[in-house]
Amino acid sequence: MSRTQPLLTTIAAACALALPAMAQAREVTLTTQLKNYGGDGAYLAVYLTDAKGAYAGTLWVAGGKAKYYKHLADWNRLSAGDGQRLQGVTGASVGAGRTLTVTADLADALIDAGYEIRIDAAAEDMRDSPAEIRVPLSTAQAGKAQAGKTYIQSFSYQFK
Amino acid sequence: MVWRQLHRWLGLVAGTLALVLGVTGTLLALDPLRDAWQAAPAEPGLPVATLVQRVQASVPGTQEVRRLPSGGIVVYGFEGDQALALRVDPADGRILGDYQRSLLPRWVKNLHRALLLDDAGRMAAAAVALAMLGLSVSGLVLLLRRMGGWRQLAAPVRGTLAQRLHVLSGRLLLPVLAVSAAAALVMSAATFGLIQLDAAPEPDVVSVPGSEPALPVGQLPLLQALRVQDLRQLNLPADDDPQDIWRVTTARGQGWVDRYSGQTLAWQDATVAQRVQDWAMLLHTGEGAWPWAVVLGIMGASIPLFWGTGLLLWWQARRSRPRLADNSPLAQADSLIFVASEGGSTWGFAEALHAALVAAGHRVHSAALEQWRVPPAARHVYVLAATYGDGQPPAHAAGALAAIARQPVTGAQVAVLGFGDRQFPAFCGFADALEAALRARGWATLLPLERIHQQSAQAFARWSQALAQALGQPLSVTWRPRLPRTVALTLVARQDFPGGAGEPAAILRFALPGRGLPRFAAGDLLGIVPPGEAVSRYYSLASGRADGFVEICVRRMPGGVCSNLLHALQPGESVQAFIRSNPGFVLPAGRTPVLLIGAGTGVAPLAGFIRGNARHRPMHLYVGARDPARDFYFGAELQAWQAEGRLAGLHTTFSRTPGGGYVQDLLQRDAAQVRDLLAQGAIVRVCGSRPMAEGVAQVLDALLAPLGQSLAQLKAKGRYAEDLF
Repeated sequence: MSRTQPLLTTIAAACALALPAMAQAREVTLTTQLKNYGGDGAYLAVYLTDAKGAYAGTLWVAGGKAKYYKHLADWNRLSAGDGQRLQGVTGASVGAGRTLTVTADLADALIDAGYEIRIDAAAEDMRDSPAEIRVPLSTAQAGKAQAGKTYIQSFSYQFK
Repeated sequence: MVWRQLHRWLGLVAGTLALVLGVTGTLLALDPLRDAWQAAPAEPGLPVATLVQRVQASVPGTQEVRRLPSGGIVVYGFEGDQALALRVDPADGRILGDYQRSLLPRWVKNLHRALLLDDAGRMAAAAVALAMLGLSVSGLVLLLRRMGGWRQLAAPVRGTLAQRLHVLSGRLLLPVLAVSAAAALVMSAATFGLIQLDAAPEPDVVSVPGSEPALPVGQLPLLQALRVQDLRQLNLPADDDPQDIWRVTTARGQGWVDRYSGQTLAWQDATVAQRVQDWAMLLHTGEGAWPWAVVLGIMGASIPLFWGTGLLLWWQARRSRPRLADNSPLAQADSLIFVASEGGSTWGFAEALHAALVAAGHRVHSAALEQWRVPPAARHVYVLAATYGDGQPPAHAAGALAAIARQPVTGAQVAVLGFGDRQFPAFCGFADALEAALRARGWATLLPLERIHQQSAQAFARWSQALAQALGQPLSVTWRPRLPRTVALTLVARQDFPGGAGEPAAILRFALPGRGLPRFAAGDLLGIVPPGEAVSRYYSLASGRADGFVEICVRRMPGGVCSNLLHALQPGESVQAFIRSNPGFVLPAGRTPVLLIGAGTGVAPLAGFIRGNARHRPMHLYVGARDPARDFYFGAELQAWQAEGRLAGLHTTFSRTPGGGYVQDLLQRDAAQVRDLLAQGAIVRVCGSRPMAEGVAQVLDALLAPLGQSLAQLKAKGRYAEDLF
């Protein structure tokens, strides 16, 4: 079935979340492998929410056409007030069966503090999948693979 | 001129890509048809809430409900880990089957909108859409020019097969193409973010959990009020996210509903841009309007036809285009050559003159006569004008006299050279009119008007010498006639007649050569080039290609080079010949009756029409000759064809037999029947001598008057045409 060879797409995201005490930062590598769902390339929004579920920042947006962002419904809604949400964190949409690898610098204060990594996903003519992935941002969770609801075969992250 | 250039270059440059878009577009038009076929629309007035209740009962993990433009309902959900997309019946929530977005592999759509090249391809496809819009607009302008305005837009189209196909299909499909291309541009603009579809950022609203459990869908006022026919998409709140909300999209806007309170937390009206985009989607894809999808599909499939015929027309025009070396810009030229040419032969003389003047050191600009403009730098102006029919200007130069009257007079000297045939009463009539108009305007004379008969090389050489003297410098004008490529035709049979007026006549049948002859029909012309002759003679064809032979009827003319050559021809011998199409005279297809009128050898093309009338269209032939024993050409065949049903009525008259007369007398005698045919919309074709045609025209005009019609009207509609000699 897998006609498409998984392609390692490595993108270094120059993303440093603006927090007051940015004393220490850790580099985190997020790996998202898509299923072979047999459709056009997926739009993905990778973002952080805090302990209360409030939006804390965007790590990556795959897919460049703004008119489709409404299909990444949760991210689009939560991040609406963030004028810089696309600053330096956008890339091409991710083809079915392919792997997106993104690195980001995260402040230590974000880790093990109740923050969550979320991914919204959508593909043309297919269903929208907000909150495709929701995993806590914690040292315990690092390295553990998690499947998404519709498009994502497995998602995991590693601290450097 | 600009429109023609625009049309040509857009067609040539964007045409190949348009071909891809047209074919894939036709395939994609199948999807709306399939959707319409499969759709099980909701009953009118069904609340969205009720639909969701039914759907949830049969698809427990429902996450999203969409109403397709076709009216069909699709439900997205989960079964375990497996994502589902199901078609459901809104009447009871029953699952009808899996939902596939398209019948076609995905690459077809990606080829159509992005040529499989992502953003670069999207831009290219948008550029093609823009080119299509340009082609539609320029095509409309050219169509209006060709047909003579909006009122004549629906008139019959004349011309070669390629021209007719291009114009006929253009007339039907041009508006569809324009609409589809404009819609495509709107969609592209939205894709590239040039049009902002969303009104405002989405509202930051969430469901607020309290002590109460989430409300069932039946208690949500917005979803009870909304009708399924207005629904686009409904997203249900996720079970595992207490803050998740109901999100509903309709054509009018988008709403967010709290899952606990049932309150509509926010509503955003759809923007004007979004509505425009919705319309563009409908008009470009035909989704939700299957009859329009059919029209779009036909339009897409016709693009190869447009492209092919357009390319052919361009190629034909290119081949007949004059080859001018060193054509100086108009403003810098000291010598201007203006040309009015019907078949292109006058351009041959213009080329020779152009080359000679350039060799003599002049800066020369040659152009079509209707572009008449004389800048101050020009010192000599040459007008080479052919005459068409009875003193008419060639079609392209119809506005030339008006252009000359508009433009200011300069100090340049003008010479007019007319081309024509002395057999016509108004020999070089258009050149006469030009000469008179120019002198009346006060243009100075370089040379007096000279008229050239049948492209006479000697007469042209004499005029060139006179010109050299007037310019006071030697000129070497070498003119060689441009003849089409000829093919050798071998005589296979001949039928000899004593002829009516002393000279014999013969029906000559040539074998159809394997290659080299284009398609031809009865009524087209066969050009014969006698050896060593520069000028060809034309004979009306009495057969079409389908008949499997080439047949003409030739009367020997005293001293006629070509007719004597043909008459001396014995079976097995051959002549050089070519086909010239005669689109105005060839019979259009159809079932309307046909009135054929001819005399002498003029019966030949009419006999050809009858021979090819396998479908037994009602054809009535009025034919005149002198003596049935001497010059009743095709007499035996005509009687046989009448017996076979190919000829409905055969009416003959012989002027040298007692009680006989001319063919116009015969028409007068049968006035009631002829008028009846004309009233039925009969197509009239006349072939023979000029005096006969004049007599026939008088009789027909008199018969048409009580019907409130005239011969001029019939001519304009292509119902009446003559082939005279």
